[in-house]
Amino acid sequence: MEAIVTTKGLCKAYGTHFAVDGLDMLVPQGCVYGFIGPNGAGKSTTMKLLLGLATPSAGSITLMGTPLDRKGRLGLLRQTGSLIESPACYAHLSAQANLEIVAGLKDVPRTDISRVLEIVHLEKDRNRKVGQFSLGMKQRLGIAQALLGNPRLLILDEPTNGLDPAGIQEMRALIAAMPRLCGATVLVSSHLLGEMEQMVEQVGIINHGRLLFQGPLTQLQQHSRGNISLRVLDAAKAEAVLQASGITPTHEKGELILPPLRDEYLAELARTLADKGAGLVGLRIQTKSLEDIFLGLTAAQSAPAAPEGKAV
Amino acid sequence: MIKRCLVAENQKLHGAAVWLAFLIVPIFPAVMGTFNYQQNIALLQSAWYSLWTQHTLFYATFFFAPLVGVYAAYLWRLEHFGHNWNLIMAVPIHPIDLFLAKFLVVFKVTLLTQGWVFLLFFAAGKLVGLPGLPPAEIVVWLLRGTVGSVPVIALQLLLSMRIRSFAVPVLVALGGSVGGLLMNSAGYGLYCPYSLPLLGMNANANSDKLTGETFAFLASVAAFTLLFFALAQFFLTKRDVNAE
Repeated sequence: MEAIVTTKGLCKAYGTHFAVDGLDMLVPQGCVYGFIGPNGAGKSTTMKLLLGLATPSAGSITLMGTPLDRKGRLGLLRQTGSLIESPACYAHLSAQANLEIVAGLKDVPRTDISRVLEIVHLEKDRNRKVGQFSLGMKQRLGIAQALLGNPRLLILDEPTNGLDPAGIQEMRALIAAMPRLCGATVLVSSHLLGEMEQMVEQVGIINHGRLLFQGPLTQLQQHSRGNISLRVLDAAKAEAVLQASGITPTHEKGELILPPLRDEYLAELARTLADKGAGLVGLRIQTKSLEDIFLGLTAAQSAPAAPEGKAV
Repeated sequence: MIKRCLVAENQKLHGAAVWLAFLIVPIFPAVMGTFNYQQNIALLQSAWYSLWTQHTLFYATFFFAPLVGVYAAYLWRLEHFGHNWNLIMAVPIHPIDLFLAKFLVVFKVTLLTQGWVFLLFFAAGKLVGLPGLPPAEIVVWLLRGTVGSVPVIALQLLLSMRIRSFAVPVLVALGGSVGGLLMNSAGYGLYCPYSLPLLGMNANANSDKLTGETFAFLASVAAFTLLFFALAQFFLTKRDVNAE
């Protein structure tokens, strides 16, 4: 799988504060990559670095196989669409005129305007002044601007920020469909993991400028396998069985708590417990929500203990 | 690339509030100048030339550079608003072309302003009963003033690019043109960018102040313009974009 975005040891310092600190990022082609972290984690700064809006203090960036430097920048920008911080627009002009300006600057034929307006459902409002638009409509206009010219890479910074629930839902569906609709790879940031769950395939979790996890969402979800709690009639017998299997359970509210186990192994264990007369009446897997994993990862960063999962 | 930028900048001016300033501001110095002319009619014996001295006394000294400043500030204000800096710096355009496009647009509006000022001057002359047409020399001075405004346009664009405030660069222009007047009286006009439009327009003078100095005038215009473009290039390429 070809990488669309690769960064190596990317750093951005403001004075002595590192907003981005040794980032090794990899965005595979054709996916929606969720860039997740609390506010101030370095998401916007990273995206600005990827667009050349800010210059790195150290490290390198490669987009679509070409290094991002003064020589390569304009060529790369031609294949990139972006929406950073909030939608940019000229409020005294119509949506159509705004898109004409951007199309002109990007050297994209004006015929492309109808296509992008259709994608973001703004065809009917094309002649209205953008100053009268709601935030959700402005946000969609921002996406339309980014989509002009069919870029291979879309960089969207918190595109659901400030939207109402319906708007968020619509934006999610729009973003999730981008690779299919436009063949673009999407890098999208958010401070809400739950929001991302429904539209991304790859995730990168960032905090204090460092990447804590990077990989497929499914891999992150595997970390959500939690402890197993058992309710038995005879705790002493159960404990003996568990000890014999090399498991030391802990006690919590009258239940036995076991570490995460493979399904096959767990089934076998349940049968043994029943056979030995421990009286197994309840078995529950304490799943962790993605929010918990996220909080676990970001909290673990400040503690010396190694974070769960494939920490990077 | 510059053509694409130019089309975009022209489009940004459609229905823009700045045209109100374009229409209204030159009326003030025209009224003030004409009133002054009528009050001192006994002393002012050179007909159209005398009226010109009174018009430019106000227009060139107090209104022209600030008005150019307003044009420049308006064009950058559009980018300071929202997060438009992120947009214009993330399109495949050399940033200096964007600056050049803004420069050409402000120059165009300035040229149109001079045309509007000439119409007001002509109307005022007819209103106070001056005979015939204004001398062609006045048109030359207006155009030469526009040439003199080139470094002022570049400087105002540079200031408004770096300063988010709309008013501060316009006030700098006002201070600058008063300073420019003083520099002119001291004979150092060619060393001050704000003096150049005054010299070009022959502000408040009956006879041509620039006789035999055309080359020095043009050299000063070119030198200041190059300097301000070089500074713009520096800021646009060496500094991070900071959209707020």
